[in-house]
Amino acid sequence: MGIKVYLDHAAATPLDDRAFKAMRPFFSNIFYNPSSSHAGGREARVALEQSRARLARVLGAKPNDIILTAGATESIYLAVHGLMTEGGHVVIGATEHDSVRAAVEPYSHTITQVDKTGYITPEAVRRAIQDDTRLVTIALADSELGTVQPIADIARELDNVRAQRLKDGNNTPLYFHSDGSQAAGALDLSIARLGVDLLTLNAAKCYGPKQAGLLWIRSGIKLSPLFSGGGQERGLRSGTENVANAVGFATAVENATQHRQEVLRETGLMRRAMAEILSREVPRIVIDGHPKKHLPGHLHVSILGLDAERVVFRLDSEGIALSTGAACAANKQTRSKTLEAIGMSAEQADGSLRITIGRLNNLPQVKQAAKVIARIINEELGR
Amino acid sequence: MGTKVFVGMSGGVDSSLTAALLVEQGYDVTGVYMKNWTQDMPGMRCPWADDLSDAKRVAVQLGIPFKVYDFQDEYRAKVVDYMLGEYQAGRTPNPDIMCNQEVKFKLFLETALADGAEMIATGHYARSDVNNRKLLRPVDAVKDQTYFLYRVSADALEKTLFPLGIYTKEHVRKMAEKRGLATAFKRDSQGICFVGSVGIKEFLSEFITTSPGEIKEKESGLVVGYHEGAIYYTLGQRHGLNVGGGLPYYVVGKDMEKNEVYVSHNLNDTSMWQNTLQLTDIHWINEPPKEDEPLLARLRHRGKLLRCTITDARLHLDDQERAIASGQSAVLYRGDVVLGGGIVSDGIY
Repeated sequence: MGIKVYLDHAAATPLDDRAFKAMRPFFSNIFYNPSSSHAGGREARVALEQSRARLARVLGAKPNDIILTAGATESIYLAVHGLMTEGGHVVIGATEHDSVRAAVEPYSHTITQVDKTGYITPEAVRRAIQDDTRLVTIALADSELGTVQPIADIARELDNVRAQRLKDGNNTPLYFHSDGSQAAGALDLSIARLGVDLLTLNAAKCYGPKQAGLLWIRSGIKLSPLFSGGGQERGLRSGTENVANAVGFATAVENATQHRQEVLRETGLMRRAMAEILSREVPRIVIDGHPKKHLPGHLHVSILGLDAERVVFRLDSEGIALSTGAACAANKQTRSKTLEAIGMSAEQADGSLRITIGRLNNLPQVKQAAKVIARIINEELGR
Repeated sequence: MGTKVFVGMSGGVDSSLTAALLVEQGYDVTGVYMKNWTQDMPGMRCPWADDLSDAKRVAVQLGIPFKVYDFQDEYRAKVVDYMLGEYQAGRTPNPDIMCNQEVKFKLFLETALADGAEMIATGHYARSDVNNRKLLRPVDAVKDQTYFLYRVSADALEKTLFPLGIYTKEHVRKMAEKRGLATAFKRDSQGICFVGSVGIKEFLSEFITTSPGEIKEKESGLVVGYHEGAIYYTLGQRHGLNVGGGLPYYVVGKDMEKNEVYVSHNLNDTSMWQNTLQLTDIHWINEPPKEDEPLLARLRHRGKLLRCTITDARLHLDDQERAIASGQSAVLYRGDVVLGGGIVSDGIY
């Protein structure tokens, strides 16, 4: 059976029609290498640089400070390994994606504290910082609970740390990186307001192509490349540029940003309807994450005693696509680090579902799906 | 409700269809995934998680209860350690046979019976004659898995169903597809399950320390190359000898004490051919065969059925066979009936 209701937008988003259309010429006529000196190369170069400029505008950044990569994992690796060549200490949020956890693994690192809604306070970050901390990385919003972090407040707290270091004669630099993958299209991505030094974005989570991402690096911050070669992207990301992906990425992000307010409102209504129906029809259901500071279409719920994986399989055969709330729930060793960090019991985590609403949904459809989800959960619980 | 049957579901198409057929035949079916020992490789997705998830998905699809039995410790002790020990001794073990004997048709059977089952079932290509406690070859001669099953007991066979024994693999795939089973198009698993995709050499190197040694030409005794550890070399092996140029060399023997591997260009080297074999650790499912009774023997999975007789523990092949390694099993058949067999102790090292 195919998918009738897609409620897994946090895992993958469909490619925006306009982005797809904009990308197409670069798979056929305009195949040229942007480094070529002939007219074809120039045409590709212009498209590439225009895309970079459009992405820069969304962030309120300088185009030259944007490095195009093959997705968020690569951007994160470049940020972490690129800054940590001289070693030192890293602080990461307690709800970071596996790619961040893996990237900081070789370095001395501290994981911040977090409250039970998945919220990380500036004070929690401050407590994790040591004298030799060079990098703090906290996602704008996590991919499991969808809790949105106070990035600007954390940035201000880091300013205080920097000021203190200046006073103490500690000349260790302190950089702030944020992974905005889940937040693109939903939150304000203005780097000036966020106050970060590096920002990762992922096209695949905001209706752009897969294997396309960017790392914005504040002017003046020096990074080492992960690998070298032709010296593209200011030497930080060698390899012939993927012009089609750049064009698709820029178009998708631009569109998402333009329609952000109305989409937020509609998505919010759908999420609220889903939460209301589930709360009413499923006894003892818990809505996880932060009650206010959450991604607009993101709903994480848990029910003690439920085998969430069974629910996902049964919904799958009814054409409703969503995810369990804890990755690899069957494997106790790799139970969700995020849910463990917020103090959720293993049994509760095994009964959790992640419902992520987006562009492929409408209100009547979400309401109907909510009833099916509630019915199957109740059947599974023998109610 | 019908007889309570617990089906070992691995997440593959065979065991998925096994469960589906039993449900259709009116049994009261419970699906069980056996979690056996695997080594987690850093940075890789836990390989068995997808299999467990597939098994569970099919169980949910069939509307049957689903359980996970954790046999990791027993599996490690009975199967993995056995395999490592045999390799260390220079022999060529077969972990699948040990897994069936110790885990699937002993531990799983016992655990299931204690857990309320009356019988168990697996997706093996074999047939069981439950009333006569016999193991029989399946209809699909190519998929025949009885070589791996010869150490199973008659007591276990009395309580075991092999619903796929009367079908061909092709037919099984079609039936799975027709029923819309989620695993219908899944690729068959290859190789030793717990070794995973890393390959046997890399797997062994994690557990066994080896030292480099000489590769000598058998006829001349000349050193023709060097190896990283004699345990990695199997009889009859041609590749990976690090011996360059000229005609291919084949492994014709090993000396574990001296840490030497012997090779030859001559495939017909007389030392490679044998027609009598000493068997140890013999297991007969029912009564032992009569002396000088004409039987059939199989020396490897999917190997030819060879005419033979057996006297005490001495197997006599009517025709000579090449490259029989110590540690491999000889399985004996009377027509379609699997009688049992033993482990070759005087094959070539």
